[in-house]
Amino acid sequence: MPGRRDWVGQGIRREQRLGYLFVAPMLLFLAGIIFFPLAHAFTTSLYREAGVNVRFVGLGNYRRLLEDEAFWNSLRVSVVFTTASVALHLAVAMPLALFLNQLRRGRTTLRLLFLTPWMVTPVIGATAWVWLLEPHFGVVNYLLRSLGLISAYKIWLGEPALALGSVVAVDVWRGFPFVMLILLAGLQTVPREEYEAASIDGAATFQRFLFITLPHLRYLLVVATTLDVINTIRTFDIVAVMTRGGPVNATEVLPVLIFNTAFQANRFGPAAAVGVVLLLLLLVFSTVYILLLQPERAGERLR
Amino acid sequence: MTQNRLLNGAVWTAMLLFLGVVVFPFYWMVNTSLKPMSEVFQSPPAFYPSHWTLAGYVNIWATRLMGRYFLNTAVISVGSTLLAMVLSALAAYGFSRFRLRWEQPLILVLLLTQMLPGTLLIIPYFQLMAKLRLINNYLSLILAYVSFALPFSTWMLVGFFRSIPLELDEAAMVDGCSRVGAFWRVILPLSLPGLVAVAIFTFLLAWNAYVFALVLTTDPKMFPLSVGIANMLGEYQVVWNEMMAGAVLATLPVFILYGFLERYLVQGITAGAVKG
Amino acid sequence: MNAKKNIRFSAVRLSRREALRGLVGIAATTLASSVGTPRNVRAAAPITLQYMTANLTEAQYAPVWKEMIAKFEAQNPNIKIEPILVARKDHWIKFVTAAKANQAPDVVSVDIATAAYYGYLRPIDDLWQAEPSAYREAWTADVLKAASWKGKLYGLPSWGGIYGEIYNKDLVKQAGLDMAKPPSTWKEYLDWAKPLTKEGQQWALAILAGKTDSTTRMLLMWIWSNGGEAFNADMTQATFASNPKSLEAIEFYLGLQLNHGVVAPGSVNINYLEQTILFAQQKIATMRNAYWGVAKVVGDNPAIKDKIAVAFPPMNTGKRVTLATMAADSISKDCKNVEAAWKFAKFVNDREWGVKRAQVSNWMPMRTDLTTDPEVKKDPMLVQFLEYGKVARAYPLPHPLWADIAANDIVTATQSALLKQATVKDAFTKLDVELNKKFKEV
Repeated sequence: MPGRRDWVGQGIRREQRLGYLFVAPMLLFLAGIIFFPLAHAFTTSLYREAGVNVRFVGLGNYRRLLEDEAFWNSLRVSVVFTTASVALHLAVAMPLALFLNQLRRGRTTLRLLFLTPWMVTPVIGATAWVWLLEPHFGVVNYLLRSLGLISAYKIWLGEPALALGSVVAVDVWRGFPFVMLILLAGLQTVPREEYEAASIDGAATFQRFLFITLPHLRYLLVVATTLDVINTIRTFDIVAVMTRGGPVNATEVLPVLIFNTAFQANRFGPAAAVGVVLLLLLLVFSTVYILLLQPERAGERLR
Repeated sequence: MTQNRLLNGAVWTAMLLFLGVVVFPFYWMVNTSLKPMSEVFQSPPAFYPSHWTLAGYVNIWATRLMGRYFLNTAVISVGSTLLAMVLSALAAYGFSRFRLRWEQPLILVLLLTQMLPGTLLIIPYFQLMAKLRLINNYLSLILAYVSFALPFSTWMLVGFFRSIPLELDEAAMVDGCSRVGAFWRVILPLSLPGLVAVAIFTFLLAWNAYVFALVLTTDPKMFPLSVGIANMLGEYQVVWNEMMAGAVLATLPVFILYGFLERYLVQGITAGAVKG
Repeated sequence: MNAKKNIRFSAVRLSRREALRGLVGIAATTLASSVGTPRNVRAAAPITLQYMTANLTEAQYAPVWKEMIAKFEAQNPNIKIEPILVARKDHWIKFVTAAKANQAPDVVSVDIATAAYYGYLRPIDDLWQAEPSAYREAWTADVLKAASWKGKLYGLPSWGGIYGEIYNKDLVKQAGLDMAKPPSTWKEYLDWAKPLTKEGQQWALAILAGKTDSTTRMLLMWIWSNGGEAFNADMTQATFASNPKSLEAIEFYLGLQLNHGVVAPGSVNINYLEQTILFAQQKIATMRNAYWGVAKVVGDNPAIKDKIAVAFPPMNTGKRVTLATMAADSISKDCKNVEAAWKFAKFVNDREWGVKRAQVSNWMPMRTDLTTDPEVKKDPMLVQFLEYGKVARAYPLPHPLWADIAANDIVTATQSALLKQATVKDAFTKLDVELNKKFKEV
């Protein structure tokens, strides 16, 4: 055909080079800003500071971690926080997505309104919630007591279990819209004909959901969940502003532990070690995520 | 039929109730921001100010560097957006138009980069920026935010670019354009929705970022909005009406931006998540 | 296909060159504005000194420091003072990150032992020795020792707080107690605490267990009041639980909440701010605090001014002892204008400001000539506190890890005990073990 390039020999090599030239700026940028510091973080984790002296301890920081109660506590808190948060994200986002999907009018407006918690800066949303949860003058306590749901004002951010529940609640408030959007996008790919065929066959709404919607969405659900887990494990802003990891380290998720160790206790080495552990955790989930995507990518490339 | 209507009504009620819970914090933000200090610490709390006033807004502008906070956030966000757009567009073009041998591992690396924890990176990044004397400097934040936005942006744009047929490039080149020219004149205009999505994504990522700015700015003159407002918490006296006023002011631009451009963002997420 | 291409083409009118130029322009502007002007680099221009202390955000200090800075700048037209306002909870972190980046503020007020240990401060022996001895004599050796680390002086002690027990006379009277005979022993204090507590309405006291070092100050005072010690003499061992007198004291103090219920709820969230608010609102009848607490509560609730009485804290041994904090103005290692910074530090310590701080903010002056100054002596309550100062032990304790353990480890143990996650004994035994481990690394 006219105009079609000749891909053979030198043409390919020159083309490849030009292609890499386009990709190079981004790669160099990432190399300098991400990979170089990442390598530096690894080496930092092999040292320990004592005042102005810094000495090499090899894997000493990591060994210490295994015996460090603060680390195991933080790991446990992270697991609880992430599991609860992600589960609730899905539990809230799914019905909302279903609802929005079958709306004929007002979908855009409602979607925008439900998106508001995700739009606002996390720390700003968190400070608003700190005010809402204020024990004596906050409106949440007042409303809950007026509705008879609690008998006495609770100190939401002052008791370990309540504090953890509060930060999870705020993270759910903040995070469900993103999951909702993904699910909504997925719902719109489910072919209408299947629903129609099912109604003709007399299937109830719930059965339609179970046997048509869910199977179609299964892949997307897993993808969305994995992404959500990856994002939620890394949550820092909300916890830092609301509780700083307290009380009694009940809300000290791994990112907060890293931050406190590095910048409050002045111990970069041990902090970097915890960071590397967090990185490994994330790598596990990232690998899952990427493996999930591969089949689709392969399909794309064959075009 | 009535059963259906009843169910429909119940569902709508539940949804509206939930919507109420979702937007309540914003209502309370505005409510508190318009109260005079004397009404803030009332028990039971008032749902609307009996003597509303703009004192909160006036005071926070006077006692805090709100103007600076806005300026800093704007500069950082715009700077990050522009740089991210340029880098990701170029890279996406490279990935989509050339059969690169290392394409698969490179994309893999890209996806992995997106998963890195910010709090780990912040330690070496801080040390690096301290050595380069870039603490309290816009550049250190811009570079960081761009690096976070690049993976997703590139990926999104690759999806968009791939939907533009190669024949268009070739037609342009037949007309005498170079590869770069084809990129500039043909691909970019056609992928405008994708570019807008990338721009919004990066802009919001930069606008909403906190932990990097918390560590990389120690001079209040260089605080962005997130750090400036959060800084007011936990002081000896939290002036809630002023703080909520600041929160409202910091949130308004984002809401307005979203109002106009949400469509593109949804498109972008759809393209990225569904079309893969 | 071709028609489509043409339509799109016409939409793009900008030539590549123009657009590139535009982008470069924007990028250049961003970069230029980002570089900014480094401090103190402009040669003939005025010197700017950055001044940072956690108290700058405190309402009771604001009128004093604003006037102080204005006067200093008027007297020194080529020096500009830039106050850095940072919330107390972020103050230490901001200082550390700035110091690590070699951009610490010029004049700061921080924990001397920890900051000096990490090399963040500039020793001021040379500047100090250059001052006339008449000037230097105003500071006692003890106070200077508290501002030193490993034999070097790191700060000019400017003010402090001496702790006493502050009572609400009205509430005391309502409980049928006699304010003329305040409790001097633990038992008497407990006997007062019970009638002073009306469930849900008011409580005898608030226990500080929030994540600030004020929590540790309270704990130390109760430990000392029983003749106990929290650490051994050279601060290489923690003895919160291993010293029986210390443990007894902690059990009594925390027992006020755990066993007797005379304490306001929510201790884990209570710091200086919450405690003073509770006192100002007459929700607690007593408050272990320094004189500055009085200025704070009067600021919160002017009506309480006449209801305040002060007494020495209750002891469990014959010997009276209380706690006195000391804050000093230090010069950071990165300061480029040491002479100007020293000039400002001395100005902060001038008589005028020491007196104002005493009168307005209720901060104790560190200069002995000020403590005998007639202006200062005009205030009987201040004099009362100064008397207590004679038996006060210095705070913070001189350990390089103090800034960290006082606001973290010790607080965690306190919270853990109060939340009944562990018995007092177990929580503080654990604390001893952890602290001993940490001390070994130093």
